[in-house]
Amino acid sequence: MTATLIDGKAIAARMRGETLAEAQALTEAGWSPKLVSLSVGDVAAAELYVRNQKRSAELAGVEFEARNYPETISLEQLTGVLAGLNADPRVNGIIIQRPLPAHIPVKALQKAVHPMKDVEGMHPASIGNIVYNDLTLGPCTAVAAVEILKTLPLKMEGLDVCVIGHSEIVGKPIAFLMMGLGATVTVCHHMTRQVAVHSRAADAVFVAVGKPGLVNGEMLKPGAALIDIGINRVDGKTVGDADFDSCSKVAGWITPVPGGVGPVTVSTLMKNAVLATRMQMDHYRAAFAAAV
Amino acid sequence: MTAKVIDGKAFAAKVRGLVAAQVTKLVADHGITPGLAVVLVGEDPASQVYVRNKHASTVEVGMASFEHRLDAGTAEADLLALIAQLNADPKVHGILVQLPLPGHLNSELIINSIDPAKDVDGFHISNVGLLGTGQKSMVPCTPLGCLMMLRDHHGKLAGLNAVVVGRSNIVGKPMAQLLLGDSCTVTIAHSRTKDLAAVCRGADILVAAVGRPEMITGNMVKPGATVIDVGINRIERDGKAKLVGDVDYASAAAVAGAITPVPGGVGPMTIACLLANTLTACCRANGLAEPEGLTA
Repeated sequence: MTATLIDGKAIAARMRGETLAEAQALTEAGWSPKLVSLSVGDVAAAELYVRNQKRSAELAGVEFEARNYPETISLEQLTGVLAGLNADPRVNGIIIQRPLPAHIPVKALQKAVHPMKDVEGMHPASIGNIVYNDLTLGPCTAVAAVEILKTLPLKMEGLDVCVIGHSEIVGKPIAFLMMGLGATVTVCHHMTRQVAVHSRAADAVFVAVGKPGLVNGEMLKPGAALIDIGINRVDGKTVGDADFDSCSKVAGWITPVPGGVGPVTVSTLMKNAVLATRMQMDHYRAAFAAAV
Repeated sequence: MTAKVIDGKAFAAKVRGLVAAQVTKLVADHGITPGLAVVLVGEDPASQVYVRNKHASTVEVGMASFEHRLDAGTAEADLLALIAQLNADPKVHGILVQLPLPGHLNSELIINSIDPAKDVDGFHISNVGLLGTGQKSMVPCTPLGCLMMLRDHHGKLAGLNAVVVGRSNIVGKPMAQLLLGDSCTVTIAHSRTKDLAAVCRGADILVAAVGRPEMITGNMVKPGATVIDVGINRIERDGKAKLVGDVDYASAAAVAGAITPVPGGVGPMTIACLLANTLTACCRANGLAEPEGLTA
């Protein structure tokens, strides 16, 4: 059998359309959504991401400001910048571009973002909400991967799901999101004895490890959905964690790399931006009783 | 084959002994006495028993115990004010608000008003997220107790297949996180799982936390597996009241390699871990090294 290719770009475009409508409604209410992106030092590594985000923001009706700070900035200074952005009512979401210089611990910065402006879904409170099955602002890649699966004609309740990779920002949140939807989730990682035993039993497989060719067709149940989150450079080409040729012969659905999870991730960031803006507007109105 | 019985009572006593020894050392070396504040609202009889037990155990390991009993009609603002006061009190290192709270109080709001560093129950949303992202946090007592018992029995857990049955916020979910943290391959099964027996039979470690009496039977257990039974269910059998777990003990013990009984298994570990968490919170608050063998 040959897998149906999942068109990430089309899903992303549809999401952006919904986001644009919401952004316009918010703008009319006096709350035009705005994101601020922070990068530190040499921006070459993050430049592609920033450019993609900026383009996606324009299409989604979200204002986007990219700021770059010198390599020499201290953690205290950056935390101060974040405090300013947290307090600024014109800013609705904050993105911290990685990589950061070694002297800036990323987790300390993520914790300093106000949870209501945490459009990347990295604050412990955001992750905690996901664990407690209350999705507000979730980590974009994990949310995107789950949104893609939800577009398929599969019943999430009781679905056997295998998540390969237990990173804090992708694998684990996917596991909790899927569990919240009623799936039976198994999380595999580098210490798992036989990944194939688990992946072959699954109706849907998510892979997010960063190793090209980690999943091949023999590891899949015929007809399963394969969501490939990996992004690897091999011989000048961008490939995922799955061996596309063998997997696409066995799977029922498969995401391509590029053009699968990537574009949906950026659209999720924009969706989070309008979600955050609406939360802030509602919070402001509730706190100051200024409902219009 | 007959399973080894994991004696939770004896192990909990050992953990309490470890805590007591380190409290003595804290007092001697630094002049610091860890303190636990327990807040009880209303007169729920079960909660009163729990609070009394917690007080006795706290004092027994040499910690300071602060009890706050408020009447059932206490206003939310007054309870929040008390928590704010305890958050600011340097003698208080751990705060526990006994649940369930009377219906007019918003439990989520109350729990999230506790300083996460003093949240010894590990229910504050930030602690949930910190655990979820593999950072230092306060870990809920019951799953922490299960983890300690598993580490004690197995040594290293890395690579073992663990199945957690039940996805509650206070046991199933944090248990899964802790087992992942120790590099188990973790499956979380629940009421919507299609073939529960088959999933359970794949487990080297089987943790049952569903609250359904004796639903895990011997035919669902892999020979030699370790079975941790978190359930405590009161049932009536032959006209007598009886406490049973979520595991059908007789049939499971015939297959498992090791098993916790009910009562006397996981139960006693919960208070021991509450004390361990209070000690941990106290050490962190004072910039001291974390107590050994008592954290996740």
